[in-house]
Amino acid sequence: MIRWKNILAVINRELRIIRNRPIYLLGSVLTIAFSAVFFLTFFKSGLPEDLPVAVVDLDNSSLSRELTRQIDATQLSKVVKYNTFEEARADMQSGKVTGICLIPEGMFADVQSSRRPVITYYINGLYFVGGALTYKNITYMINLAGGAVQREVLRAKGVSEDAIMGLIQPINIDFHQIGNVYTNYGYYLTNVLLPGVLEMAVIIILIYSLGAELKYGTSRHLLKTAGDSLQTALAGKLVVYTLLFFSLGLIIVLLLYDWMKFPINGSIWYIALDMMLLVLASESVAIFIIGLLPVPRLALSIGALYSILALSFSGFTLPIEAMPPYIQGLAEAFPLRHYFLFYSREVVMGTGFAGWWREAVHLLLFLFLPVFVLMRLKKAYILQNFPKN
Amino acid sequence: MKKDNYISLWFKDFWRMLGHELKLIFSDSGVMIIFFLAGLAYPLLYNVLYLNGNVNDTPVAVVDEAACAESRRFIREIDATRECAVAFRCVNMDEAERLMKEGKVRGIFYFPADFGERIARKETAILSVYADMSSFLYYKNALTSGNMVMLQEMRNIQIERYTAGGMPVAQAEQLVQAIPYEENNPYNRTFSYQYFLISAILLVIIQQTLFYGMSLLVGTAREENRSLSSLPSGLRGNGVGRAVIGRGAAYWLIYMAIGLYIACIVPALFGIPQRGEFFEILVLLLFFVTDCVLFSLSWSILITRRESVFLLFLVVSPVCLFLTGFSWPTTSFPTFWKWFSYIFPTTFGCQGFININTAGGGLESARVQFTGMTVQIVVYYFLACAGVYIENWMVRHRERIAGAKRELALRAGVDLEEDRRIIAGEQAQ
Repeated sequence: MIRWKNILAVINRELRIIRNRPIYLLGSVLTIAFSAVFFLTFFKSGLPEDLPVAVVDLDNSSLSRELTRQIDATQLSKVVKYNTFEEARADMQSGKVTGICLIPEGMFADVQSSRRPVITYYINGLYFVGGALTYKNITYMINLAGGAVQREVLRAKGVSEDAIMGLIQPINIDFHQIGNVYTNYGYYLTNVLLPGVLEMAVIIILIYSLGAELKYGTSRHLLKTAGDSLQTALAGKLVVYTLLFFSLGLIIVLLLYDWMKFPINGSIWYIALDMMLLVLASESVAIFIIGLLPVPRLALSIGALYSILALSFSGFTLPIEAMPPYIQGLAEAFPLRHYFLFYSREVVMGTGFAGWWREAVHLLLFLFLPVFVLMRLKKAYILQNFPKN
Repeated sequence: MKKDNYISLWFKDFWRMLGHELKLIFSDSGVMIIFFLAGLAYPLLYNVLYLNGNVNDTPVAVVDEAACAESRRFIREIDATRECAVAFRCVNMDEAERLMKEGKVRGIFYFPADFGERIARKETAILSVYADMSSFLYYKNALTSGNMVMLQEMRNIQIERYTAGGMPVAQAEQLVQAIPYEENNPYNRTFSYQYFLISAILLVIIQQTLFYGMSLLVGTAREENRSLSSLPSGLRGNGVGRAVIGRGAAYWLIYMAIGLYIACIVPALFGIPQRGEFFEILVLLLFFVTDCVLFSLSWSILITRRESVFLLFLVVSPVCLFLTGFSWPTTSFPTFWKWFSYIFPTTFGCQGFININTAGGGLESARVQFTGMTVQIVVYYFLACAGVYIENWMVRHRERIAGAKRELALRAGVDLEEDRRIIAGEQAQ
């Protein structure tokens, strides 16, 4: 028997609470809005441009200057010239330049006389994206310079221009980046970070909402409003928060895949479904945590710890299979992990139902979590026998 | 009877504030959890998560329609790289595509039927590589291993060709790679995720746990209607400085200890490079912890309830991490966010730690960061003082503020009394 009147009463009560304590809306709407603005504008350019690269040119020949110009002309790098390696190294250690390209003395003369001068370059791999991109760029440019020398020699030998290309570059790779053609760093991160923030908000807000009843001693009144049924009380509360977070989730989906035109191989409706499942699973986790530990302060601390860890455990940065084996299984306990797998099938690969149904089932399994703690939470609500803070 | 002079009075008040605050910290189990459980366990946890740091042997599929000596050698070489492992050999693209969609492989190497012929005809042979972009590390592995093998194979083929044309091997080698190069990645040799991420995250943990813990105490004080920042009694508006310094010293003492653990012991436990001298790390911590304490003292003023810090500021942690510039480079920050990043001690602290500890650049390499932290310390000290002032004003005018709130609610058409009844029932309070 469902008591609609009681549910309505609880909903009405919950809306009053939200109106009285702005923290609910600040913690959800404002947090999501801030994160959306932050992540969408922070990575706006997609790939970094004009990363400072130190060039120490000990040769000062036309060839070394040409190489320097070539590196400077790439979209990725901007050359900063140094006179000595020591100065450049100090600036690389302080993070001012992402790498150093050391052109040896007499390089041009050595090239002319086929003595194979060695160019040495150094990368600061502690600033990750900058370091990795600079590494790629310098390697590429030096290979090009080597190719140019080879072409000069072949031209001098009288080889035809058509034949030269095949000789210099016998093999070439045609790269296809599935799901992110522009290797856009912003697309890659924001796609998972924003749902991560949503999961965070769902867990924290719901734990707080359920915990506040204990903290302010209003839990008995909540049960009375709900006709002495915790299920009804939860239903009422969940209607309000689910609607709130569904709309926020939908806004994120529309924002990313419609307005910001993030690449999506599959259907926007499926990813919206994924988002809803993420919200529901996160709500279940929140109820589980507060039910297990009906002490608002502890539950919130645990919830905070859990939802921050979810970002690492989703495996979108360092893949789970690269983590130590004894910790890999833990990833299954995070809804965001399954959201990410669902997303990587639908958005990146465009597989449709066949690819992600297991993840959807996983997310649905989270919905059973609250069942285990309902009795315990009800007891805590009636007896109010836990520390209130 | 000799009256206390200013200095001894200052110290008396300072000690009282310090003792009072320490007592509050150690009698609050929530704060103890954040400071000592989260502060001590979180760095360990993150280190375990990123212990391996590198993704090795990413599974890839190969589709070899050329089936020539060159393509087979290429495939063997790909399999031999650290980055990739050939997990499946597929007969056609459909099969490989299916494996990729199922997530069994993260990349596909496709050799078209004319691959060998083109090499034989001395044209450019093109192979296609498809990479799963759901994690950039998959892409990076496919790209790195593909490029490495391509350069190697190109040189092999070229040398074969030139020598077949009658050129001596030594001369052919000179021609093929006229400018050899030597690559160095001195601070992070394999682009390990562990080294760069942990170096940045450690100090973020210091700042965030300190801020959350202090905010919990401020929130509690506000809920209990006592003012944490109230001045030592009898000072009547004087002594803001000693109130701030006294309170701050309590956190400072605890966090210098936690900071030494996080910045010195944790890296040693997990083999993170420690290229800085102990003395240098200590100096960095002196600046950073002082900065964090004053930062938290200033911002925790906004906290009105015990739990609200989690609801409002949890998202700040990942944002802070990105603002350190450890991944997306600082030079590419949009201007607004660059200025925004100057709010947080971690922006300077983490870069300083990376430069001194992990790159081993000495104190000199963090000069900019030390300057930044010094400016922050001065600014946040005055902000914290202003906060104490405002707090005191509000305590003294509590009645008037409550009245204004009621009036505002009345004007907005909100019946606070009715709300309270619906939320808490008649018997509550």
